[in-house]
Amino acid sequence: MDELLSLKTAFLEEIDPVTTLAELQQIKNKYSGRKGLLTARLKALSSVPPDQRPLYGKTLNEIKDFIEETLGHKELLLKGREKEKRLLTEKIDITLPGRYTRFGRKHPINQVLSEIKDIFVSMGFGIEDGPEIELDYYNFEALNIPKDHPARDMQDTFYISDDVVLRTHTSPVQVRVMEKRKPPLKIIVPGKVYRCDADVSHTPMFHQVEGLMIDSDISFGDLKGVIELFFHSFFGKGTPVRFRPSYFPFTEPSAEVDIGCIFCAGKGCRICKTTGWLEVLGCGMVHPRVFEMAGYDPEEHSGFAFGMGVERLTMLKYSIDDIRLFYENDLRFLEQF
Amino acid sequence: MRVPIEWLKDFVDVSASPEEVADRLTMAGLEIEGMEPFDNDVVLEVNVTPNRPDCLSILGIAREVAAAFGLPLKMPETEISGNPPVSDIRVEILNPELCNRYTGRTITGVSVGDSPEWIKKRLEKCGIRALNNNVVDITNYVLLELGHPLHAFDADRLQGGMIQVRKAGPDRTITTLDGLERELPEDALLIWDERNPVAVAGVMGGEDSSVTHETADIFLESAYFEPASVRRTSKELGLRSESSYRFERGTDIEFLVNALNRATLLMRETGGGTIHEIVDVYPERYVPAKVSVRYSRVNTLLGTALKKEEMLRILGRIGLRTEDREELFDVYPPAYRRDIHQAIDVIEEVARLHNFGNIPVRIPRTALSDGILNRRDISVNTIRDAMRKAGLTEVINYSFMNPADLDLLGLPEDDVRRRRVSVRNPLKQEDSLMRTTLIPSLINNFVYNLSRGMRDIRLFELARVFIDTGAHLPTEEMRLSGIFFRQDIPSIWKDAVPAFFMAKGALKSLFEETRVTELSYIPAEEVFLHGGKSADIMTGDKRLGFVGELGPGIVETLNLKLQKPEIVVFELNADMLMSLIPARMTYTQIPRYPSIERDIAVIMDDGIPSARVMADIRGYRYDFIAKVELFDHYKGKNIPEGKKSLAFRITYRCNDRTLTDSEVETVHQHLVEHVLLKTGGELRT
Repeated sequence: MDELLSLKTAFLEEIDPVTTLAELQQIKNKYSGRKGLLTARLKALSSVPPDQRPLYGKTLNEIKDFIEETLGHKELLLKGREKEKRLLTEKIDITLPGRYTRFGRKHPINQVLSEIKDIFVSMGFGIEDGPEIELDYYNFEALNIPKDHPARDMQDTFYISDDVVLRTHTSPVQVRVMEKRKPPLKIIVPGKVYRCDADVSHTPMFHQVEGLMIDSDISFGDLKGVIELFFHSFFGKGTPVRFRPSYFPFTEPSAEVDIGCIFCAGKGCRICKTTGWLEVLGCGMVHPRVFEMAGYDPEEHSGFAFGMGVERLTMLKYSIDDIRLFYENDLRFLEQF
Repeated sequence: MRVPIEWLKDFVDVSASPEEVADRLTMAGLEIEGMEPFDNDVVLEVNVTPNRPDCLSILGIAREVAAAFGLPLKMPETEISGNPPVSDIRVEILNPELCNRYTGRTITGVSVGDSPEWIKKRLEKCGIRALNNNVVDITNYVLLELGHPLHAFDADRLQGGMIQVRKAGPDRTITTLDGLERELPEDALLIWDERNPVAVAGVMGGEDSSVTHETADIFLESAYFEPASVRRTSKELGLRSESSYRFERGTDIEFLVNALNRATLLMRETGGGTIHEIVDVYPERYVPAKVSVRYSRVNTLLGTALKKEEMLRILGRIGLRTEDREELFDVYPPAYRRDIHQAIDVIEEVARLHNFGNIPVRIPRTALSDGILNRRDISVNTIRDAMRKAGLTEVINYSFMNPADLDLLGLPEDDVRRRRVSVRNPLKQEDSLMRTTLIPSLINNFVYNLSRGMRDIRLFELARVFIDTGAHLPTEEMRLSGIFFRQDIPSIWKDAVPAFFMAKGALKSLFEETRVTELSYIPAEEVFLHGGKSADIMTGDKRLGFVGELGPGIVETLNLKLQKPEIVVFELNADMLMSLIPARMTYTQIPRYPSIERDIAVIMDDGIPSARVMADIRGYRYDFIAKVELFDHYKGKNIPEGKKSLAFRITYRCNDRTLTDSEVETVHQHLVEHVLLKTGGELRT
């Protein structure tokens, strides 16, 4: 019996300093292997005197269970430690930068154009297009701006020939569409336009979005509704919008639209020239002359048209103070958007 | 138009603050663009739209202020009493269609000198310099005050004591007040004495007959000239004046005697002299317009519910005489409101004076429409996004091109990109052509960014080019172009790819994203590209575009101070690209049976294009080749000079059963032999 107990003591002493799975395997072989000490004892059980056998056997089994359990625990422990050690050697510096594909940027003008298009498309407007080099007829005449009319001074025009111009606005597309299609019409026309002018607030080329809605019963109130809806989507609900009388040869009544200054909340600042308002859009009811020129009956149809400058809206949206930045194409500018 | 508040008060007793006046005018359609303190006064800067020439005067603005505040208008004294002597100047109008009325009067014995302070001050406030000449100052003064341009002649210089109004005819010149001798267009309307032109009607007087300190007798003109004619003449002469500005917009033919009298009285007040009887030749009588408007039309067009009386009351506020006729009403606009000649003009006045803010907001009740992005717009968005995701940043350039750019690119004379459209009046010579290619703009963008220290420059632009085809309007086509440059930037994760393949890879992403397939690359013949590093991108036998490295010649011209920079550009016909985008895609079943992969590496002549080898493999007649990929391209150690090694991975698969190893092995061996035969190469081991 004592011999059994010292076996256990010896086992404990041996297993205690073990730190590797290989060492553990050796101990396992020594004690519980096929030729191990415990196995030998079990085989020799028959040589124990019968009267001592039950107790001896019981003790031996207890020691065997104890040793196997201890071996098991130790093995789990060591396996865990070895795994930890391996992970430790595989450790990386997770603060190193990732390898990434840098996306390019969409030009801010086109980002804002997309936003404008999305808003109008959601209201059911279709998108139309027309030539940038345009006949004088479509750019002026058909829009009720005859030759020798002072309204021609409102737009400095680039000429290609006597009767061909770089379109000064996207409005000629109105007429082109009306010639092709019958009402109801709900369209917007985004595009490049040109004016013979260059300074801090003017570039010889810029972008406009033209809009046109024609049906049998469209009123100035509808115009107000659509424009207000647009600016509330674009600048946020609650943005004050006001309409004041103005003049465009192809609409009547005509209006300029101001929004409450988004920089000073209408209190008056440098950007709104202390008026509290920012001019953002021109619009009006389609002039009967324009309907007649396009072959529509002004008694049967009414509608409105509007036009806005995309640069202007983009400048307001991102607080950009020099329009020329859009066309310098400096990456340090473009990559901000 | 500059309007001093103090002067305004001569015509209307407005007690509101200048800010309040400014606000009311702005909301009535006369936008106040600025307010400038001036001594103890405030000057309003009014933006008068071209349809409202009646507002190009203090009186005109006063009329609007009176209407806005509901105040009466006070008119200045213009009655000339007594029995003045008859003027000895005769007036004859030979072109009554261009001059509907001509009035004038002689004032004898006037002393010409400094104007009184109050006149000088008011002129100064309005931005006009007093001239040490009360006669000229007063014509300016009355022009500002009443809006009617006047002209004063030295009566003793008018030969034959007569005024004739007629066209210039051929070869006529005049020296205008500004001292310049001008050749006159044949159609220009002139004022003549018995022999010579003495003024360009409505534009500027002649120097010879001008009023100077030596002048004793003057002849003062107040006339109505046809707007379009004045405008044409003024434009052709390149001569704008305060007078022509008003005449070309339209003046008040009924009021011009008042202006003449007002000036006459002021001249006598400041320079003495004897007033003579007026001469008034009025061949084309003004017939007041009558405009009929349906009440209901006003409300349907505006979306209002105004009552009849309200409409008429509103119009009465600006002095429009109206007459009620049941369903309709008639409007008789005064001569200074020639902009009102059809119903819509009246409706506009109602809306304007009712105030746009009072028109209720409504959401249109209109039919649903096909208001969707069309296919083209969707394609444009897809292209932009694909380029962006491929790492290119979008630029937008002016549509202009420098004539020198065509030579920079060295384009041959018969190249389509030489068929350019020129702008007749460019802002500068470098911007005088419309672009026929976007490449020069992108090179500029590259140089601009490089010179500012950027070292990773990848840009694209999607824009129109303009090709002159001889038709009335040029052809406009969309181009998608880009430029790639990336200097070896030290970077933590190495990724060295030649610029050409970066660009080609970006295009690959684009084609994949747009589902455009069946493209091939063949050597390009663009003169400005590196002959060995450029390709035309073909779809069938049509050229979609090109991609390639800028040739050494052009790079040298750019003077970049870089060692052999690899700058790659591309330009695609975006319209053609969009036409290749399939309208719909269909699903292909996911393979049900496993595939088997085999590799083949062949050493062959360096000159054989990989695409040819690829085509040879693809063309091998065996149904179960599912995919072929080139995965290695190698030259150098262990490969003989003039040779290269290409390695392909071939995926075999059958759609209705599992292929066996031995079956694939046999086929693969045959394929290897086929490739060796085609390329004349040998297996790399």
